[in-house]
Amino acid sequence: MSDFFPKWTNNLPRNIIIGALLTGTAVTAGVTYYFTPKYTRVGYQPIQPVAFPHSVHATQLGIDCRYCHNGVEKSWYSNIPATSVCMNCHNQVLKDDDRLAVVRESFASGKPIPWVQIHKLPDYAYFNHSVHVNRGVSCVECHGQINHMDEVYHAKPLSMSFCLDCHRDPARHLRPLDKITDLDWKPASEEAQLKNGADYVHDWKVQSLQNCSTCHR
Amino acid sequence: MKTIPPPCLEPESGPKYWRSLEQLADAPEFRQWAEREFPSGASEMSDPVSRRNFVKIMSASFLLAGLGATGCRRPVENIYPYAKMPLDYVHGVPQYFATAMPTRRTAIPLVVKSNDGRPTKIEGNPDLPDSNGGTDHLTQAAVLGLYDPDRAMQFKRNGSGEARNTALDALTAISKGLGDGTGLAFLLEQSSSPSRNRLQKAISEKFPNARWNVYEPVDLSSLPRLAATLAYSAPVEPYYKLDEAGVILSLDCDFIGSEENAFNNIRRFAKGRHLDGKESSMSRLYTVESLFTLTGANSDHRLRVPPSMIVPVLARLALNVLASSAIDGQLQALAAPAQAHDGWIVPCAKDLKANPGKSLVMAGYRLPLAAHLLVVAMNEALGAVNHTVEYHQTPDSKEGTISELAAALNAGQVQTLVILGGNPAYNAPVDLDWAKAQAKAKTVVRLGYYEDETSWNDALHAEKQWDLPAAHFLEAWGDARTADGTLVPIQPLIEPLFGGLTDLEVLALIGGLTPSSPYDIVRQTFQGIGGDSENNWRKFLHDGFLADSASSKATAQYDAGELTKALGQLKPGSAPTSGKLDVVFYRDAKMDDGRYNNNGWLQELPDPITKITWDNAVMISPKTAKELGVFTERNAQSQKFFNYIVEIKLGSRTVRGPVWVQPGMADDTIGLALGYGREKTGRVGHGTGFNAYSLRTSEAYYASGAELTNTRNTEYELANAQSHWHMEGRPVVREANLDQFRKQPAFAKGMEAPANHDPLYPNPLDVTKQNALHQWGMSIDLNRCVGCSACMIACQSENNIPIVGKEMVGKSREMHWIRLDRYYSGPDEDPQAVTQPMLCQHCESAPCESVCPVNATSHDDEGLNVMTYNRCVGTRYCSNNCPYKVRRFNFFDYNRRPLNHLYKSPLVMETDGEYELLRWLKNPDKGNLPETDWQLAKLVKNPDVSVRMRGVMEKCTLCLQRIEQAKIAAKVKARDTDHVRLSEKEGTVPKTACQQACPAEAIIFGDISDPESSVSKAKEQERTYSVLEFLLTKPRCTYLAKVRNPNQEMPDYKEHSMPYTTQEFQKARGASAEDEGGAR
Repeated sequence: MSDFFPKWTNNLPRNIIIGALLTGTAVTAGVTYYFTPKYTRVGYQPIQPVAFPHSVHATQLGIDCRYCHNGVEKSWYSNIPATSVCMNCHNQVLKDDDRLAVVRESFASGKPIPWVQIHKLPDYAYFNHSVHVNRGVSCVECHGQINHMDEVYHAKPLSMSFCLDCHRDPARHLRPLDKITDLDWKPASEEAQLKNGADYVHDWKVQSLQNCSTCHR
Repeated sequence: MKTIPPPCLEPESGPKYWRSLEQLADAPEFRQWAEREFPSGASEMSDPVSRRNFVKIMSASFLLAGLGATGCRRPVENIYPYAKMPLDYVHGVPQYFATAMPTRRTAIPLVVKSNDGRPTKIEGNPDLPDSNGGTDHLTQAAVLGLYDPDRAMQFKRNGSGEARNTALDALTAISKGLGDGTGLAFLLEQSSSPSRNRLQKAISEKFPNARWNVYEPVDLSSLPRLAATLAYSAPVEPYYKLDEAGVILSLDCDFIGSEENAFNNIRRFAKGRHLDGKESSMSRLYTVESLFTLTGANSDHRLRVPPSMIVPVLARLALNVLASSAIDGQLQALAAPAQAHDGWIVPCAKDLKANPGKSLVMAGYRLPLAAHLLVVAMNEALGAVNHTVEYHQTPDSKEGTISELAAALNAGQVQTLVILGGNPAYNAPVDLDWAKAQAKAKTVVRLGYYEDETSWNDALHAEKQWDLPAAHFLEAWGDARTADGTLVPIQPLIEPLFGGLTDLEVLALIGGLTPSSPYDIVRQTFQGIGGDSENNWRKFLHDGFLADSASSKATAQYDAGELTKALGQLKPGSAPTSGKLDVVFYRDAKMDDGRYNNNGWLQELPDPITKITWDNAVMISPKTAKELGVFTERNAQSQKFFNYIVEIKLGSRTVRGPVWVQPGMADDTIGLALGYGREKTGRVGHGTGFNAYSLRTSEAYYASGAELTNTRNTEYELANAQSHWHMEGRPVVREANLDQFRKQPAFAKGMEAPANHDPLYPNPLDVTKQNALHQWGMSIDLNRCVGCSACMIACQSENNIPIVGKEMVGKSREMHWIRLDRYYSGPDEDPQAVTQPMLCQHCESAPCESVCPVNATSHDDEGLNVMTYNRCVGTRYCSNNCPYKVRRFNFFDYNRRPLNHLYKSPLVMETDGEYELLRWLKNPDKGNLPETDWQLAKLVKNPDVSVRMRGVMEKCTLCLQRIEQAKIAAKVKARDTDHVRLSEKEGTVPKTACQQACPAEAIIFGDISDPESSVSKAKEQERTYSVLEFLLTKPRCTYLAKVRNPNQEMPDYKEHSMPYTTQEFQKARGASAEDEGGAR
């Protein structure tokens, strides 16, 4: 048979199998890491037309999230505030600051500020803000600690499995309703969270909704 | 492998339910055709491009797609918030406004949903005393008309565009040169608007010599009004209270389908037919008609006679009902030809007389004045007045007719002609030769919603013609009165998209009146009626009606004098023959008089009886068809059913159209639907049907002496939804007669063979039921459903269902999530008909779910069978396995492609002068529609429902989005309490779109785990059954069997002594009717 197959071919099947296994592993690992929202979305930080530091407004000044995002408790959509909301304060504070020129111009002309969208779900996923923030899910669960960001970035993957983590086990993520917009709040301990969380699930009749129809219509 | 259908109980002989004549013929081709999953053509690739070429093109496009690798970057998207926040506005929360849709002389009160400033869904206003929140299909479809890309968008002078202000200035200039109004003529549509009435009066004072003319090509209310006014010597009109009636006789009056205020008639009629249990009683309906209408389909006894025989039958009935002898001689002369029908007429009249104060006679708009007067006399004699019919006071109007206007135009007496709405160049009586008459005016001002036949064109150009785009009722202010006279506001939800005007605005400008803005006009009118307090006005707008503004009941004395006079002018007609046919011109169920011709939802809605879409046809009876040799045939090559084009000659005029053999039509009669065959219309309506107006003279809606010849050379395919999806004769619709129902209320149970196997599919709900808060279900009462099809359009509007075009409907690819099945039974000359809404049955153990390879269709804990579009890969296994054939597949990207370019590859397609592929590379989200169409098409979509793309299966979700929104609302309200369950008592359970739109309240949706809910109670009724029970799919959607109420003394009672299903199943089981008293 050596006429047909030289000696080095003896190792060929083994090499092929090992090679295929290694390539397979590398491809799988690569796809899992690079092609999932954990990699593709997290860290997305576009430059906004106005350098709006949440850290200053929310943490230093202590403005509640809902002062600006006032639709969050009523609508599926948490609105970006209108220019008029900025001007409520900034017609007094930093009145002539250069960094606010865009805001003043927008207010004068009536043309909106073109904020760049960061968090975005696919059109076939119907997420509703109001039902989450009214039922013990804090902003921080999905958006991260926005109150410490100078420029907002995408902090969590917001993938389907990310949603399901919480929908499968809501007790780990629920908090008292008065702490929803307190992004620095931490449970006393993990045990306390689990115990209180279980109580909320029971007392508020929180369901673990994993039906397709919960999010897709 | 093909599944052999389980044994079917249908007997070989005897009456059976059938859905089309081809099926009744039971040809072997038909059997083969019917057993397929989709009818022939639906699931084949009939693209002219071969598979080989397709692969070639696809590989080329994949190569090109690689060039777009830059698309791996996330595209930057902007959010544009308001610069100044409007008060009370929360983005994403829909707002609701009360308004109304004006119809001819009435209005339909509405609550319209607005999503971020664009009206998306029309619903009825349930708060009015004379409304239950139901609407009709025309109203539901109106929102599509608002975003019609073919509507008139420009102000035009002699056909060329002008600025809006130039046009308005021109109107003012015209107004200044009018003097005392000599030479000024108005041509209006009917209206119930008090504002228009007021402006007309003001203008008449200013221009006393102006002519006022009103034209409606299908005038539904003038004759009944005139008859009542003459008979009571006071301006009154009839208002029918069908729910109070025990015995109703309809004389060519399709009060369910095509008369004025039909949606309210349906509500009241359904109420009168409602059965709670065996103790309750229901009304009985007799119909005399030539066409086969919805009213006829819902009647207990139906007499089909040619139109020339309707007056004789009426006269004969009157002879039996009226005691007076003064007119007996006249009646006897008229009634002579109807003697043959005495067997029907005498017991019918006896039944009417036996129920004084509870019987009602109605005459249709097509009948002559004398017939309406006779009906007034009969109602008076039967004691119906103030019980089943009320006479309401109505404003007196003295406008002229279009014939008078044409005469004045031809005599050169009109210099300035103002046409507000309508389309006389298309639909005026053909003997008036309107186009020529209109050209005689020096200046024509025309307000129209479309650029149509009456717009400026070579044939009818006056010296000067202004074409003004009309505003939609959702765009501009107005007011109207409903059928009972209640004042309702027409409140806009959006600025006029193209700057359109209303008739009020144009009248004010022509009349030189101030104010001329419609808001101010309406406000001023309201001050005169509801007082000038701001609060009253705000309440009026908020409620959508002015309380206690209904017209008052008239108490005038009946006077028979006019009847004698009118009867004297009637000539007894002679019965038609196959050489001299009678013709009925009728208002089309969908196009109305042609005004909705460019509405795709309505074009694609199957006609409630014929189930034809996208066309009208020449209706003839099976017997006449046989005599004339024009039966539906099948092409030997293409294996497709076709109809011949026939030519109808009436006097010197001819028209050609495809023939349709309609079971139940009167013999020797032709039915021609108006509203099709438009010469100049939008892209949707273009090329649909033929124009029956071209035969119609100003005489009436009937004609006689028509000849029909088969051209024999032209085959025409009608896109018909009738023969599709038929049910192989299983007891899908179950019915009994009232006395059988009383004897055995549970007659509907066990009509089928019991299941001969254990459940095929596991019931996923057995496990999850316990965890869920609700269990959704639906009950449809076939005794209330009249088949009006409002639910179909409501569903289409709510769920973003696309239209697919005539060619696709021909291949059974229509997308309706809920359809109205119509089954005939009995002899094909004179069948009974039943209608049945069919939608996803939400089986608990659903056959579709177990065959889906990707879990795209599954159950949720609350019992809904849900579709996850983004998982679906389009195998269509689910549809194959669905026993109810309610799943719909997106064979093409209907939402984003022009319907005439469905097959075209983006490689060769150009849109807006640019190659489609380039457009796509620049912006992949954009459809293949031209930019303006795309911008408008997006606006009508409901943002709460995914718009499905090509290759995806879809079906009814029981309005999942409404359920989820209701649940979310409850949870938001509950916050840290456990009050999250929806309950009907608190009014938190949503209504599905079909339920909401149903004027008959036939559809009940709700939580079946709540024993107090109305759906639970409906399901407890003994008439409840599920369709195809023996498959053990456990549908959540159940039906309440139909009950008919025939009169035992009628001659056809022998055949109707038991509905056909019952006969059929007893026959199959060998049980005798006497022993069992109904099926077990």
